[in-house]
Amino acid sequence: MATERRAEITWQGDLMGGSGTIDAVGSGAVGPLDVTWASRAETPEGRTSPEELIAAAHASCFSMALAHGLAQAGTPPERLKSSAEVTFVPGTGITKSVLTVRGSVPGLDDAGFREAAENAKENCPVSLALKGNVELSVDAQLEG
Amino acid sequence: MPRVQRTATAAWEGNVARGTGQLSTESGVLREAPFSLPARIGNESGKTNPEELLGAAHAGCLAMSLANQLAQAGTPPERLEVRATVVLDEVNGSHRIVASHVEIQGRVPDSDDASFRRAVEEADEGCTFSALIRASAEVTVEAQLSSERVGAAG
Repeated sequence: MATERRAEITWQGDLMGGSGTIDAVGSGAVGPLDVTWASRAETPEGRTSPEELIAAAHASCFSMALAHGLAQAGTPPERLKSSAEVTFVPGTGITKSVLTVRGSVPGLDDAGFREAAENAKENCPVSLALKGNVELSVDAQLEG
Repeated sequence: MPRVQRTATAAWEGNVARGTGQLSTESGVLREAPFSLPARIGNESGKTNPEELLGAAHAGCLAMSLANQLAQAGTPPERLEVRATVVLDEVNGSHRIVASHVEIQGRVPDSDDASFRRAVEEADEGCTFSALIRASAEVTVEAQLSSERVGAAG
């Protein structure tokens, strides 16, 4: 069954001088969030940008796919800490998303963890949507 | 222009069905925002999910791109309301993002329907996120000029 997820933004004024607010997302978990061109292309100054939200979507999608893969292999994780760093080149577009994950997974060795992370990087829905246009990589290590 | 990097961090505990995560972004606008699988595929229950964050990214990207097109045409917008709905579905046994539907309402002094639609088409072409997602999913954009005027209420 298809699921639909929604977000709304209001923008006022032109690109350089104007500003926007992501008023609402369907879940109500996030927002209102301020957005400006400067926060996107220069320093964030406490405001978000489309690329940061893509990074958040990718990090959360990857975490779920990895938790799923590990549990299916009989080694569910105690804890996964993932990050996604998305590169935006103004005028060119979104070029790269670098995933990093540190995990605590009882009963699994480094090679098994790296393989599971690689698989989650290839197959989580956000990766599938970005793949082909955006370079994807993952650095995975077990901790303590 | 210099390249820009944006980072978000997700912490996850437990398996996918019953575990939960917390999501934070570098700018600080998200601080340990909760997300979970039920929030993603079932009831939303105050937790976020990757698809609504992509919706927020798409709406933000298109709003900025359209503000730019309209200003370049000499008709900067007073107000744009952009809503993006991202659809996740199962295709051949795997979950895929299959569509993003965008609806736009604009209050743009001195623009008319034809020039507004043209600006929307150009904005869609210029929005990096539209280009990305269109490679693997359907993107639709519906746009309408709002006739509402500031101060004309009541």
